[in-house]
Amino acid sequence: MTFRRALLCSIVVSSVAVFLAAIARGNGPLPGVEISAGPAQMSAAAIDELKAKFRRPAAIPFPKSNPFDEKKKDLGRTLFFDPRLSVTGTVSCASCHNPNLAWSDGLERGVGVTGIPLPRRTPGIVDAAWLTALMWDGRADTLEQQAALPITAEHEMGMPLDVLTKRLNEIDGYKTLFEAVFPGKEINATTAIAALATYERSLVSNKSSFDRWIDGDELAIAPAARRGFVVFNTTGRCNKCHSGWRFTDDSFHDIGLRSEDIGRGKFAPPSVTIMKHAFKTPSLRNARISGPYMHDGSIKTMEEVLDHYEKGGKLRPSLSPEMKPVKLSRQEKDDLVAFLETLIGPPLAEKSPELP
Amino acid sequence: MRVIRTLIIACVVVLSCGPAYSAEHTLVMHHMELEEVTAPVRAGDVIIFDNRSDMTHNLYVIYSDGTVDNLDTQVPGMQRKLTLRVAGPAVIKCWIHPIIRLEMEIGSQDTPPAP
Ligand code: HEC
Ligand code: HEC
Ligand SMILES: [Cu+2]
Repeated sequence: MTFRRALLCSIVVSSVAVFLAAIARGNGPLPGVEISAGPAQMSAAAIDELKAKFRRPAAIPFPKSNPFDEKKKDLGRTLFFDPRLSVTGTVSCASCHNPNLAWSDGLERGVGVTGIPLPRRTPGIVDAAWLTALMWDGRADTLEQQAALPITAEHEMGMPLDVLTKRLNEIDGYKTLFEAVFPGKEINATTAIAALATYERSLVSNKSSFDRWIDGDELAIAPAARRGFVVFNTTGRCNKCHSGWRFTDDSFHDIGLRSEDIGRGKFAPPSVTIMKHAFKTPSLRNARISGPYMHDGSIKTMEEVLDHYEKGGKLRPSLSPEMKPVKLSRQEKDDLVAFLETLIGPPLAEKSPELP
Repeated sequence: MRVIRTLIIACVVVLSCGPAYSAEHTLVMHHMELEEVTAPVRAGDVIIFDNRSDMTHNLYVIYSDGTVDNLDTQVPGMQRKLTLRVAGPAVIKCWIHPIIRLEMEIGSQDTPPAP
């Protein structure tokens, strides 16, 4: 190639690049739509580098203030499945966080002692040990803080903490169980909650085929899922928020759903626009493949979830700047779903314990 | 004559209590963390928050008296300036990413900068 030809070539290439950049910036005919050049692609080296970001941690983080203890965990399990923790004696934590329904309830919105649907959907609680902001709006910082909320909430378990303390003290079987874990300490809401939180931290997702792939077993997931992983991290933009081994940034975004709920906006001064309608990014491990999805259970199928991200959500000042309409081909959507299915591991073997 | 005298006094007042000690610092925002400002900072100093990460942040400063300054949304590449208002220990956090947190000791305005 002559010098002149090379020059011409590079001028053409760079002006096309400038043109594409201008379109991507929103000056083109389709504002905000990202142009992807055909199917998402990545070099093997780039994929390896990316895979390192999804490696599972080696150990469960237990706080110094509430360290692990086998008997404490077992006591926590008993309490978790005990409906006597609710005012009516009919609702346990496990009623809504049901091990057989991926530690959720399969409903659009949870239902507790009053039968009135809660404002929000019940999230799964596996891998809760790693949560740094709890609840859809982050109103609790630790599992210890969180546990008192459902126990006392009118439409969940409706149980004042002093009544809880009284009731636990009336159950003989609990005396020996608590004494073994907290010798010389009272049976009260604080000790009960410490046990509940320890049990929740012990609920760690089993390795899925995706984890085996990350560990180096190249054939652990199908080619479609491998392509889906690339779409997830490139053209799909999912990794902008669903990042890391739990597929969440533990952060808060308005993804432009229609819900009236302002979520974390309730806890920020009115001037903090970006928190209006912002909810916590949920983990995508063991996500329900059959829905319903989102904080309000408003999206019924995974196909509709992908449609939502294609459109980019309702445009409003609080909409996350990471939300941009994406273009996904039929194949890319199928690949994404194939990939998300590899995040489903074998369920935790958990049976209801015998109650004292 | 009178006018000139007033002007001179005004100048002296402005120079002595105005920007005499006030300095500018840059605080770099990374992916999920904030880089500490190494120089001592004092009330009245200006902090330039420089978002060099690939994501949008919305920082806020909680001062020792409990009051808060909100920095508003900063997309990647955007800088925002804030004049520190209250001396004492302060915490910088992000509304979007609660795991981001930086503690900062804000010196009082009339202490001269450390040599
Ligand atoms: C009536 C149904 C119901 C019951 C009973 C219930 N929960 Fe929940 N749980 C929910 C709902 C709904 C949410 C989300 C609430 C929100 O974010 O506003 C939730 C959220 C949580 C979370 C936060 C998860 C996250 O990702 O932030 C944890 C942990 C949790 N529950 C544990 C418990 C424990 C422990 C108990 C028993 C003491 C319990 N729940 C009882 C419905 C229930
Ligand atoms: C701007 C950040 C952001 C991006 C980008 C993003 N998500 Fe989400 N995702 C969220 C948040 C926040 C929620 C919860 C929203 C709510 O309920 O209000 C969510 C919810 C979901 C859910 C529902 C999970 C459940 O348990 O209800 C799925 C599935 C999902 N996202 C998949 C994806 C996929 C696939 C992509 C890429 C095409 C993607 N997300 C891109 C932040 C994001
Ligand atoms: Cu941030």
